[in-house]
Formats: sequence, structure tokens, C-alpha cells
Amino acid sequence: MIGRNRYKNRIELLQGTLDMLILKTLQWGPQHGYGIVQALHATSGEVLQVETGSLYPALHRLERQAWVRSEWKQTESNQRAKYYRITAAGKKQLASDLSRWQHMVEVIGAVMHRVPDGEEA
Amino acid sequence: MSLFSRFTNRKTDLDDEIRAHLEMDIQARKDRGASSEQARTEATREFGNVALIQDVTRETWGWVWLERLVQDLQYSLRQLNKSPAFAITLIATLALGLGATAAMFTVVDHVLLRPLPYKDSGQLVEIKESGKRGTVSFGTPYLDIQQWRQRSHSLKEIAFYSSDKHISFLDGNTASTQVNAPQISANLFALLGVHPAIGREFEGRSDGSALTEEEHSLILSDPVWRTTYGSDPNVLGKVVKLNGESYVVVGIMPRGFTFPFNGAMPLVWLPRLIRDKDTVRTRNVTPSYQVVARLNPDATLPTAESELKAIQPEVAKEYADPYDRDLVTSVQLQRYDDSLVDSDLRKSLLALFGASGVLWLIACVNSTSLMLARAAARQREIAVRGALGASRWRIIQQLTVEGLLVSAIASALGLGLTMLMLKLFEHGLTTQFHIHEKMTANLSVIGLLVALTVVSASLCSIWPAFVAAKAPIETALRQGGPQSSSGVAQYRTRASLVVIQIAASLILLVGCGLLLRTIYALRHAPLGFRTDHIIIANMTIPSYKFAGQNMTTELYQPLVDRVNHMPGVQAASLMNAVPLGNTFKMQFTFGVTGNSAADVRRRDLVAQFRAVGPEMQRVFGFRMLKGRFFNGEDTASTQPVAVVNRAFVKAYFGGDEASEKILGENLFSFSKDKRAVVIGVIDDERQVSVAKQSQPEIEVAIPQITPGTGFYKGAEGMGMDLAIRTDRSSASIIPELRELLRQSSPELANSTFTTMDQVVEDSYGSQQLAARLLIVFGGSALLVCITGIYGLLAYLVAHRTKELGLRIALGAQRADVMWLVLRQASWMLIAGSTLGLLLAFMSSLLLRTFLYNVTPHDPWTMGAVTLLLVGGGLAASSIPARRAARVDPMEALRTE
Repeated sequence: MIGRNRYKNRIELLQGTLDMLILKTLQWGPQHGYGIVQALHATSGEVLQVETGSLYPALHRLERQAWVRSEWKQTESNQRAKYYRITAAGKKQLASDLSRWQHMVEVIGAVMHRVPDGEEA
Repeated sequence: MSLFSRFTNRKTDLDDEIRAHLEMDIQARKDRGASSEQARTEATREFGNVALIQDVTRETWGWVWLERLVQDLQYSLRQLNKSPAFAITLIATLALGLGATAAMFTVVDHVLLRPLPYKDSGQLVEIKESGKRGTVSFGTPYLDIQQWRQRSHSLKEIAFYSSDKHISFLDGNTASTQVNAPQISANLFALLGVHPAIGREFEGRSDGSALTEEEHSLILSDPVWRTTYGSDPNVLGKVVKLNGESYVVVGIMPRGFTFPFNGAMPLVWLPRLIRDKDTVRTRNVTPSYQVVARLNPDATLPTAESELKAIQPEVAKEYADPYDRDLVTSVQLQRYDDSLVDSDLRKSLLALFGASGVLWLIACVNSTSLMLARAAARQREIAVRGALGASRWRIIQQLTVEGLLVSAIASALGLGLTMLMLKLFEHGLTTQFHIHEKMTANLSVIGLLVALTVVSASLCSIWPAFVAAKAPIETALRQGGPQSSSGVAQYRTRASLVVIQIAASLILLVGCGLLLRTIYALRHAPLGFRTDHIIIANMTIPSYKFAGQNMTTELYQPLVDRVNHMPGVQAASLMNAVPLGNTFKMQFTFGVTGNSAADVRRRDLVAQFRAVGPEMQRVFGFRMLKGRFFNGEDTASTQPVAVVNRAFVKAYFGGDEASEKILGENLFSFSKDKRAVVIGVIDDERQVSVAKQSQPEIEVAIPQITPGTGFYKGAEGMGMDLAIRTDRSSASIIPELRELLRQSSPELANSTFTTMDQVVEDSYGSQQLAARLLIVFGGSALLVCITGIYGLLAYLVAHRTKELGLRIALGAQRADVMWLVLRQASWMLIAGSTLGLLLAFMSSLLLRTFLYNVTPHDPWTMGAVTLLLVGGGLAASSIPARRAARVDPMEALRTE
């Protein structure tokens, strides 16, 4: 009961962002789950460690939305893995996610950097 | 590909995906130099809880509920399989409650709920006149109907028909069929909104009556058309013979149409023409009709009734005689569908339905109690599941699924029980409630069953599920066994449930007891005649075949003589209808016209009228109070004589005058120039039903009746019963009798045979049926209730084994321990009985119409039934009590 809630909270917290990050990663080319974790880890300067408990539900959710498509393929090391590929709808979603995220960063940034006037005087 | 296999495919797909992820991770770690063992451990640890991830991922597919349902169902089945005794008790209890309710609902549905197959049947009303002597049931004269038609604005249309129920003979291609042939106004079918499937309706005038040209037209009902004419459409326009007269078939009504609605006989319809007799209001001359009207769309039953009530005094003024006027001063309106079921019958049916509902409630309460006990026993298991991550909703859902599964199995069994009950009680139900079609559980019954199942499941599982899910996990896990403090609260809850069961069972048992006393009283009521060794043949007389002849000498006398000469026959007699038979009824009213007190009393007198054979006294052995009964010397050529009963003497003289005073009284006109003289008084006997007091009665001798006698047609031309006193078994004598009747006239071979004992038995009908149903309901309730008490106390003893052991170890006497348990039982029994008696005090009033010679609050019944329940309860609780007393202190203390 407790374990379940922990995962759920994490997903809710990151939901929009994680989806966006996954879509962004897939823009460089089709990738499997493990590959996505590694890619995010590397591109974030080894800061982001995506939990599998969030990743797989997110991937399946994106697939359900038809933003990604999946197929089984051989990896370079001859391991069978499920590759995810971004779709046209996914690309559109990514663009809109990105602009929304940028907007939010600006807004939140503006709030955070504003110099409080009343109190200091 | 089915949904389920697609689901399984995706499941293995996800498994593969996760395995691939792990493999790649392990490979990567090995590449970085980790040992194979180390790489696997680390990768697995980093990945997390595989099962949980799979679970969460699958949730995004949106059909986890299906998987869970399958899981829950499998789990529930395993659980039930693990404790079969529990499962069987639970399912049997619920099946009983569901089955009984569904069976009674089937009857209610047939009798009360089914809409009549007429257009907007809610707008159809039946109109009757009423006055000083209550509602006039035999009908309304044409002139009064016309007044309503002219003056009323709330009635769209008025139709009428003659309700004369006697049987006619319709000649078919091969044999003749017995049918009812009501005469209807031409506008009746249009008023009902039903038109012939083939052919046309009767053509009529604006007053509703049929045109004179229609006199020899006839409309067939679908069943008659099919059976008598083999569905031949060419019968339209053909001439058919009804009671020997020729009619032209002008129409055939659609399948399923019947009117009047509650008849059992096949139907044909004749047009009603208005004749000279209809243009006057003369008693015993003017025909009367039953009236059906359709309300205007803007009128309601109360507005129409108040309008007609305002009109009626004007109508009554048209009656010249003040006595007759007083009989029709008002009117009564009733919805036509309500008029088909009399209010006593409706009440009794609803009371029985209520009883079945109570049984269902008891079953639900008992199941709730059982499920609570079960939830308590599984507290640890549920706690473990909670600790492993099952959410509260998940647990509730699982327990609810279990409840639904149990209820569903129970309702499947219950449906079987419904069928069984309908089969067992078929005779009683169909005759009592006038149902003429096969009763089966139809869609609405199944709908109710499904609804009840869901409600039962909710009642008996959701509450226990909430209790179980709410219980704190840690305490349940920490404690060794099921002995926890929450057990006390739980015990109290279950004890209250048992109290409710006891109370509800008592309601049913009181009803059952009252009806058994009624049956006993009925069986011991003095009937006034012997009923043993009498065989009855109920005959329909094809009188048209004897037109122009004297039926007394051509048919009846030879017939009785031959039957009297059959071997083994002690006496045989004809009579219009045997007592309690209710097959045929003739009423006698005096043709007095004066308005003095004595005249009015005589005009008020309504007597049963019977034509009987002189051998009747030898067959039935009733007692003569004064004078003599008919004998062989009373013939057509001698002085006409009559016999009356004691109730008649009382009504005639208006007091307890000596019976002999009526002897020699010149009572009524027998034929043109002869009047009948009273020669004897018989003691009262029951004529209509065992429960009804004797009514005034006049009897005349069949050998004296000739075609010149005023009542010849009524007394001899319609129905006649043949009563035979014999020592032979009915199986051996009936075929011979039937053959003998056939020789007299072929149609008589269709007579129905019964025994007088059966006639008496059938006259108990409604009480007998109610008593039997309540024995079933009450008995089941008692059983369920006793199981409930036993179950709870057994639980209590098991729960407190340790404590009981300790008490015994510390020196408590075994008797004290036993008393400890019995005290709990007594407390519940006393509380339950008190509550139950209070409720029974109110509910038994609903049974009033069934009761005979016993009051609804009969203290003996209440006492006896309470004793039975308390006795049964104590007997059931003595088993766990003795078990408690036998607790071995060493064993009990070691169980920890």
C-alpha cells in the first residue's frame, strides 16, 4: 500500500516533464527502455536517474496516446529489445509540451526573481 | 482473438520487455568489469519491484479491472472451496430468501402488475350503482347507462355487456365446444382499442347497442378459431351453430385478446341488441349490464366519480318505486384492472409477498452475520495483504466480489427454488388468484432476482468488507490469534443481527401459527351435512337439445334412476349446486311491491335458490328441524312444495320465531296457477364457504318442475350437479358414470368429477394456501434463525476458549461456564422475542382476512410460537454451551 503510493506520487510529480523528456530522447532515433534511461542519465550530466517504475508506465501511456510506436528489434549486441519510435503526433505533442514548459519556466522564474518591494523598505 | 488472450499476450510482452531491460543492464555492468553474480544483484536492486512495476504499467492499459475480477473470482472460489460448510450455509440461506421472494413476486406480477392487453388500460373504469344495500353487483339497466352517456363529460365512451356466465355449446367441424358467449355492446372493442385480426366488429348505433341486422352475427376469439375451426380463415362469413341457433362469423379477434378478462372458458362474442324490456325499469324484468367506460384524457378517476355521483340522484329519481330508488342512489367507479382482483385477495397476496420479503431480509441479515464472522477469521490474512501493498479499495473490492459470487450462485439456485415452489403450489395459486396461464419466471421476475442479488451481495458483503479493510494492520499482525479486542465490538454487532433475525422470524411464525389455528377451526366447523363417500359430477346442460321437451322427464328422472341402480350406489341425487361447490348460483328475491316494514324486510331478503332431488337428504344426511323433506310423492301433478332453512325463517319473520310457524306458508308462485307451500325446515348448513355463516335458502323438488314452471330454464337448463353416495372408490366408479352420462346426452361426458371431501378442501383454499406458504417461510426462517444463534455462540465459545479455560482452571464450575454461554443466548432470545412480538402485533392485522375463529392477537398462538422459537434457540445454544463446559483448561491455555 505504501510502496504503491510512493510510485504514484513520483509519477504525478514528473508526469508532464517525464513524458516530454522521453519524447525528446526518442527524437534522436528509436530507443528501448534501458537505452532511454541511459541516454537521460548521460545527457543530464549524470544527474537524472529515471526510475523504471515511472518509465514503463510512461512509455505505455505514450503508446496508448499514439505519440510513440513500438516494435521488437535486435540490439547491436544481439539482444532482443522493444524499441520505441516517436510518431508525427508525438512530435507535435513534444513541440507543445516544450513551449508550455518554457512558458512555465519564464513565469515561475519571474515570480522567483522579483524583488519584494514592501518589506525591504 | 479474444480480449482475454490479447491481454495475456501483452502481459508476456511486458515480461519480455522488462527481462530485456535487466539483461542489457547486467551486460553493461559486466562490460564495466563486475562479476556476473554482482551485476545481476545490482541490476535487480536498481530496477526495483518487478511485480509492482508490471502492475502499475498494466494499469495504463485500462483493463486491469478485468484481470482483477478474474483474480478475485478465482480467489473467492478457492476461499469457498476451503470452507464448504460456511459456503453451503451462506448459499442455502440466500437461495431460500431469493427463491421465496421471486416465487411470490411471480404471482404478484401475474395478478397485480401485468398491464391489461388493452389500449391505455389505465383509463378504463368499471361503473356500478350503489345504494342502501351496498354495491349492485348484478349490473345496471340500459336506461341508466344512457343517462350517464348524455350527462357526463368525463367519460369519452361507455360500453356494456351482459355478464351472464353460463356455458354455451358451439358446434365445430367435428364436436361441440363449451364456450362463454357474452353479449357485448357494439362499441366495446373500439373502446378497448382492440380490433378484429380478421373481419369486422359489430355495427352499432350511437348509443353503443348493436344494429338489428347484427342479431345473428358472432365474433370468434383466437383460441376458439384455432381449436374449433383449425385456423381456417374461410370460416369468416360462414354459418355456425351456437346452442343450436345459427350465427354468421363476422370477425376473429387477435391472439391474446380476451374479455371479460378473468374468465377461464374459451370465448365467442354476440352483439347486444336493445329490446323493449330495456326501455323500462322493472325489477326482475329489465336486463342489467356490466359497464366499462373510457375516461376523457383530461378526466381522472376521482373527478369522473364525483361527476357521476352528482348525476346519479337525477337518475335515481326515474325509479318509480321508492324501495328500488334507494338501491341506486349513488355510483362507484373503479379502475377496470383493479376491479378484476378483489381487495381482500389483493391484501392477502401482498401479505404473502411481504412474508417472503421478510424471509429474504432474514436471509440477508444472517449472511451479513456470517460474512462478518468470516472477515474476523480472515483478519490476519487481510492484514498481510494490506501490508504487502493492497489498498483498502482493493480489499473491499475483493470481498464484494466474493459476496457477489455467493449471491449469484444463490440466485441461480433460488431460481430453481422459485420454479419448484410455483410447481408445488400451482393448484392453490392458480385457483386462488384466478390465473389461467402457465406461471413461469419471466423477464421481470429475473430482473427482480438480479436486483435482489445485487442488494443481497451489497448488504452482506460491503459492510463486513469495510469493517475488515478499516481494521488497523499492525495490531492484527502483532497479535497471535483472532483473539483481539475488536472481537467484542464485532460480537455485539452480530448479536444485534441475531436479535433482528429472531424478531423477523417471530413475525412469520406468528402468521403461520394463526393460519394453522384457522385451518384447525375450519376443519372442525360444523358444516351441517356429511361429506364422506360422496362423488360429485358437475354437469353443463346442453338445454338447447331439449327445446320443446320436458327435461325433468326426458333427461333428469331417467338419469337419476339409472345412477341409483348402479352397483354400490346407496343414493344419488341431482341438485343445482352442491354446498360449497360454488359452481352455479341462483338467487331468489320476493316480488313484493309494498313499502311497509314487513314488505321491506321481505324485499331485502335474498335467498339461495336450489332445485334438488328428493334423495338429497339420503346423500348428504342433513338434519330436518321441522316438517318433512321432499319424497317420491311430490310430483308434477301434486301440490308444489318447498323446503327452507333456519336462516330463511329468521330473515322471513325478522326474529327468532318458532320454525314450525313457516310450515304451510304460501311462499311464491310456482307456475301460472300454482303457488309453492313450505313443508319443512332444514337445519343451517354452509353453502358458500366453511367460514361464511349460513344464508337463507329455498329448495324446490326437481320432479315437480315442468316447462311451465317460472324458473324452469334457470333451475334446469344451465348447470346441475349429480351427488352420489357410494362405498366404491372414485377411480372405479367414475368411468362407469361418465359412460352413463354420455348415453343420456353426449355433451355430459365432459362433466368434471370430484369428491365432496375435495370440494370442502378446496373451499379452505386461500387459508390452506396461505398456511402452507407460511409454513414454508416460517419454517425456513426458524431454521435460519437457529443456525444464526448457533453460529454466533459457537464463535463466542471458540473466541473465548482461553478465557473459559482460565475460568475453569481458577475453579469455575462447569455449570457456571455453561450458564455463561446460555445467558448470552437467553439475552438475544428475550430481546428478539420482545421486538418480534411487538412487530407481529402489528403485522398479524394484515392477515385478518384469512382468519377464522381466531383473533389476530390470539395470545395462545403468540405464546406457543414464542416458546417454540425460544426452545429451539436454547436447544441450539446448548451445543456450544456444553462444548464450553467441556473445555480442558490445560488445552485451552496451551493454545496460545
